Amino acid sequence: MKTNVGSGDRGTTSLLSGERVPKSHARVEACGEVDELASVLGACASALSAERAELQREIQSVQGDLLNIGAWLATSPGSPTRQMLRTISPDRIREMEDAIDRLEAELPPLQSFLLPGGHITAAWAHIARTVCRRAERRVQSLAADAGEAAGESPGGILPYLNRLSTYLFALARYCNKLHGVPEATWRG
Amino acid sequence: MEGMKTGRAALFTTRLQDRAWLSEKAFQIQLDRPSGFRFLPGQSITIVNESVERDYSLACAPDSDRLTLCVRLVLHGLLSPFLAAAPLGTTLTFTGPHGYFLFRQSPRPGVFVATGAGAAPFFSMVSAGVSGFTMLHGARTANELYYGKHLRAASARYVPCLSEGRAPGCFTGRVSDFAREHLAPRAYDFYLCGSREMIRDVTLLADERFPGSLVLTEIFH
Repeated sequence: MKTNVGSGDRGTTSLLSGERVPKSHARVEACGEVDELASVLGACASALSAERAELQREIQSVQGDLLNIGAWLATSPGSPTRQMLRTISPDRIREMEDAIDRLEAELPPLQSFLLPGGHITAAWAHIARTVCRRAERRVQSLAADAGEAAGESPGGILPYLNRLSTYLFALARYCNKLHGVPEATWRG
Repeated sequence: MEGMKTGRAALFTTRLQDRAWLSEKAFQIQLDRPSGFRFLPGQSITIVNESVERDYSLACAPDSDRLTLCVRLVLHGLLSPFLAAAPLGTTLTFTGPHGYFLFRQSPRPGVFVATGAGAAPFFSMVSAGVSGFTMLHGARTANELYYGKHLRAASARYVPCLSEGRAPGCFTGRVSDFAREHLAPRAYDFYLCGSREMIRDVTLLADERFPGSLVLTEIFH
């Protein structure tokens, strides 16, 4: 795949469906949030040691989902291109729920608010969680603006991002446990 | 288009069955069509040879018995010299189909713009019955206007543009020069396939002179 160079020098870009839009367009903003989330997840996976290959693969699988989501978001509703794009299936959302259950089964019950941080992998997972929530807000706003009712969210994206945020919170806690770092709690 | 999905492309094995030179700089190869391989006109495949991967648009009808690729010979390239010299019968591996460079019906007139081997996906579209578009076909010289005869026959308006040299019936200059000087200002659906420079120039021109246009692109080096 070759990358386009230079046609965005004047602040416009092409959607996957071909429309030329300003780079501040809500659809581009939403894509950017999802891209940022995938990048932060990359930092988290990179910080995990090689012995945690299974967890790294799970994170890379999420990054793949985010690429599919980005393609969907970069395509205008009604474009024939959308018929070719992968969406997030109910099965994939169930897999995410299973992953949350699997991580939470390893963790002590939550007694109070946590202060994000701890081991570097946990810190990255917390950042990913907050970026994920921001992406979710952008997608919700986009769906509302585009007339796609939130209930029939574009391609299962909203439920997926909602589950992913929960997964990332559990992942952050799990990363601290894996590395023997105690969770810092808020004693306000 | 319904039912076709991309993203996790399957791996296929094929054999090189034929090769024909289109000019000194480009050749066409034909591959056996693996069973189960389906594609849409405008899509590409990725040839995988050891650690090297290169994308090539399919230059054939979606129901053809063999798969045709148009390959530009890149001196010291990592794959095209191999494809230029490989004996017929050589086994090749590819993934695909890839891409969203597909013709779509639209109230706006279609303008196809190709340079060099970038004519390949348009030939595939034409083979599938697409017609009535404006074709701006760019090359350095007239013998590099690949698939020109077929593209001319299917188009409502065919404009060969030569950046080096002159020929009867050809515009002298780049495709972007022709679009700037002769394309009536209005919204179009632009389909651009070819060099990065052409795609950048025509895209910026679309922003400037043809607002409201769609710009769909496929880059070839």
